[in-house]
Amino acid sequence: MPRPGLRVRSLRKMKIKLPGGAFIIHYFKRRPSGAVCASCGKPLHGVPRKRDVDVKSLTKSQRRPERPYGGNLCPGCARQKIKSRLR
Amino acid sequence: MKASRDAFVISVMLVSCYEVHVMFDVGRVCMKVAGREAGKYCVVVKKLDANFVLVTGPRSVTQVKRRKCNILHLEPLKESLEIKDDASDEEVIKAYEAASLFSKLDLPKPSRRAEQAEESEKERPEKKKSKKKEAE
Repeated sequence: MPRPGLRVRSLRKMKIKLPGGAFIIHYFKRRPSGAVCASCGKPLHGVPRKRDVDVKSLTKSQRRPERPYGGNLCPGCARQKIKSRLR
Repeated sequence: MKASRDAFVISVMLVSCYEVHVMFDVGRVCMKVAGREAGKYCVVVKKLDANFVLVTGPRSVTQVKRRKCNILHLEPLKESLEIKDDASDEEVIKAYEAASLFSKLDLPKPSRRAEQAEESEKERPEKKKSKKKEAE
């Protein structure tokens, strides 16, 4: 029986095989949902699906595409926005 | 019927080719719409291909490097500069001033520091080479 703090469904569980053949369960916190485009809802590439703690250890260029609206809008929507700003 | 449709398609293609030819002429001021330099102004310096042009900011003015660029990644503006084919960055800056685009596009004038940095970048590799030669 796990300790009371681990007896919850919000944790991700992973069965791990030990060298002796026995199985034990490891508990992880769940990953956040992936980033999506703010205007069209498409999933964004180049944005890591990690917890804030892990994201903080990355460099800034690893956190989002290095483009205006990078990590917020998809490239197509960003292009439209820049073009509309011109006109 | 089919022949007429083909003729129509060809005419449309020709017109679009002509438009592209005119839109990305040498000296045309554009805005980059893709990549890390998106949202920044640049000038077409040379035509390389049906699809590619050589483009420059210059870097000391708009942070756009002198580089090859696909015309799909450019948005042409009304403004165009009077420059030669394959003009240098200094000539482009002069053309900017002549057309008074610094105030129109709200661009910062190239500071002395930026120019000095670019000059030093050019000089650096030469210095290294000369040192090696001395050692030999």
